[in-house]
Amino acid sequence: MDMGEKDKFELDNKNEDAMNYSPGMSSDWRFDGSNLTNTSMGLVTAGNSMAVGKGDLIGSSACSSASMVDSFVPTLWDHPSNPQNLGFCDMNVQNNASTLNALGIRKGSPASLRTGIDRALDMCWNQSGPMLKGSMFLPNMPGMLPQSLSQLPTDSAFIERAARFSCFNGGNFSDMVNPFAIPESMSIYSRGGGMMQGVQDVLAGSGLKPVLSGVHSQKGELNVSEASKDASLTVEHGASEGSPSKNERSENLAKSHDEAKQCVGVSGNESDEAEFSNGVGRDQEEPSMLEGAGGEPSAQVHSSKKRKRNGQDSDLDQAQGASQQHGESTKDNTEQHQKGDQNPSTTDNKTTAKHGKQGSQGSDPPKEEYIHVRARRGQATNSHSLAERVRREKISERMKFLQDLVPGCSKVTGKAVMLDEIINYVQSLQRQVEFLSMKLATVNPRLDFNIEGILAKDMLQSRVGSSSSLAFSPDMPMPYPTLQPPQQGLLQAGLSGMGGSSDVLRRAISSQLMPLAGGYKEPSQLPNVWEDELNNVVQMSFGSRTPPNSQDVDGSMPTGQMKVEL
Amino acid sequence: MDPQSLSNPNPNSLKTRFAQRFIRALMRIQNQQPKSSSPGEISKRHRKVNTAANAAMASAVGPRRVWSQALLWRIRNRSNRNQARHRRRRALFKRIGTNSMKRKGLKERRGTEEGQLVGFGKEKKLRKLVPGGAAMDICSLLDETAHYIRCLTTQVKVMKRIAEIYST
Repeated sequence: MDMGEKDKFELDNKNEDAMNYSPGMSSDWRFDGSNLTNTSMGLVTAGNSMAVGKGDLIGSSACSSASMVDSFVPTLWDHPSNPQNLGFCDMNVQNNASTLNALGIRKGSPASLRTGIDRALDMCWNQSGPMLKGSMFLPNMPGMLPQSLSQLPTDSAFIERAARFSCFNGGNFSDMVNPFAIPESMSIYSRGGGMMQGVQDVLAGSGLKPVLSGVHSQKGELNVSEASKDASLTVEHGASEGSPSKNERSENLAKSHDEAKQCVGVSGNESDEAEFSNGVGRDQEEPSMLEGAGGEPSAQVHSSKKRKRNGQDSDLDQAQGASQQHGESTKDNTEQHQKGDQNPSTTDNKTTAKHGKQGSQGSDPPKEEYIHVRARRGQATNSHSLAERVRREKISERMKFLQDLVPGCSKVTGKAVMLDEIINYVQSLQRQVEFLSMKLATVNPRLDFNIEGILAKDMLQSRVGSSSSLAFSPDMPMPYPTLQPPQQGLLQAGLSGMGGSSDVLRRAISSQLMPLAGGYKEPSQLPNVWEDELNNVVQMSFGSRTPPNSQDVDGSMPTGQMKVEL
Repeated sequence: MDPQSLSNPNPNSLKTRFAQRFIRALMRIQNQQPKSSSPGEISKRHRKVNTAANAAMASAVGPRRVWSQALLWRIRNRSNRNQARHRRRRALFKRIGTNSMKRKGLKERRGTEEGQLVGFGKEKKLRKLVPGGAAMDICSLLDETAHYIRCLTTQVKVMKRIAEIYST
């Protein structure tokens, strides 16, 4: 084993120059990975009628993907077990998602860095492959990509530019990348580039910084002897990967919980929108935590110990990855699991911190619980403040999630104001329900109409959003701009229902015309609540030709009806 | 629930489930009550429709959410209370006992509320708005609020649509 370490160490020294590329490489590939995740998100958002691709959401997704790809570095610990890695593509993703601690390891074992990054690339592609098209990226060669990588410039400005280009044209990106000799991944690039958003510069800011800072801190504080020690430790744990010892299992659990989290964030894209944004919100918290995790071990005395732990983490991650392959289907379970485990982890943090300060490097601590939250430099490390920080982060996650739900809340900063907005929105919704139920109570529907109405409703409901613009595209472009945004939602809801078949259409139109014909003066007479409701209807059916004076129904009435009859 | 499922023609979506339940309840209400335009009748019907809407929403969501559970529980309790009130009218001497018991229960609930609501006043407000929010920690309260908001928007949309159809 010692000889192996020595060899390894020498290899390290030899590969120092190759090491120099590593920050650039990782950053480059971070971009690629994030692009891919963005594309997957783009797939999801493309399906939605609502514009989920807001700037902040995409920004957060960029952050999350950055964290995901940041953390593919730990997979370099997996390099003793190549076949496994190649076997479990999905699993590798979860390995990717472990912490930034491995930034320290990167310095420690540059020899494995290459292969590790190769593997990480593989994982990256393989993971995003099924999201995009299934088997697109499977035939990637690990040797191919890093070569081209080292030729890529390491500055982020280029990637920014490329990303911006590619959001206009998918082919552009591949053209840009072509001179950098990635013939293999060209198609992938173009694929990813086509759907990429222009928010990559956000990513450029957020994605690059943590890693670089982490690398710098690691470089500053590590000496070569430690590096060799780390290498030996990795070899050891690589050898014992099949049988992970019990006492580190809990830490690994924590790591894998991290991964589960991120996995939820990523795979949630596919199935559930709610999960998706939830995961994104959560993932956005991740980079900071991971960054702290990456920076901290360098500062502390037990950094090598932690690194060793990372090695085992990744080993166990492989074991756990198998179980996490169906973790995608049981996202909720893992999430709940993770939630449940968070509290013990915070309490156990204290013990690990103490261990680290004692500087007990040589002997394995007998019972070290997993580390889920770590304090950044300068932050308090006692369990109370850690728990408080976790709680605050959770709250802010949910606040972000709520921010997306509540309209007009995205520009508001400050939790108190946001809470106010949320409260107002909930109250207004409840009032709306009250009002609508009053309306339904006052309305005396004909009983013979009931069945028909229900049927029409079901039909309409089944068609909502699908074929709205088909029947109405010639007539409807006009009323949209005239309406205020809140009314537009209603209008769309009403409109999208109409597009189905012609009789449904006729009925719906006539249903909206009738109250007008009966009493279109109501808007001026009834209280305010009625007013906007009926105004909606008025504008809906009559605003198409006379948007400025929709109150003047007399003049526009014939045109409206003519149009409808046409 | 989420915008994707709103746009999908999914028969099992929350929207469809809520619409079915609500329309059924609405028809029941309309069938069992003779139509009259007296304000008392209308307000009574309004309350019924509102309750039906809430109940339909909560039952469409199912028991996996705290707010829906709380809402259903509250509705059930309220109807029980109404029945109890009728019963109390018949048996006058029992009223004192039940009343005092009720007060005691209320006081207890207030006490736990105040014990848990150490946060600022807005949080308190939100807890009052979200059903079942009094007994949650802040994280799950925000979670429930998010879900509740989504469900409420769905409810409003569907009810608007129904009102549109019925108002012809």
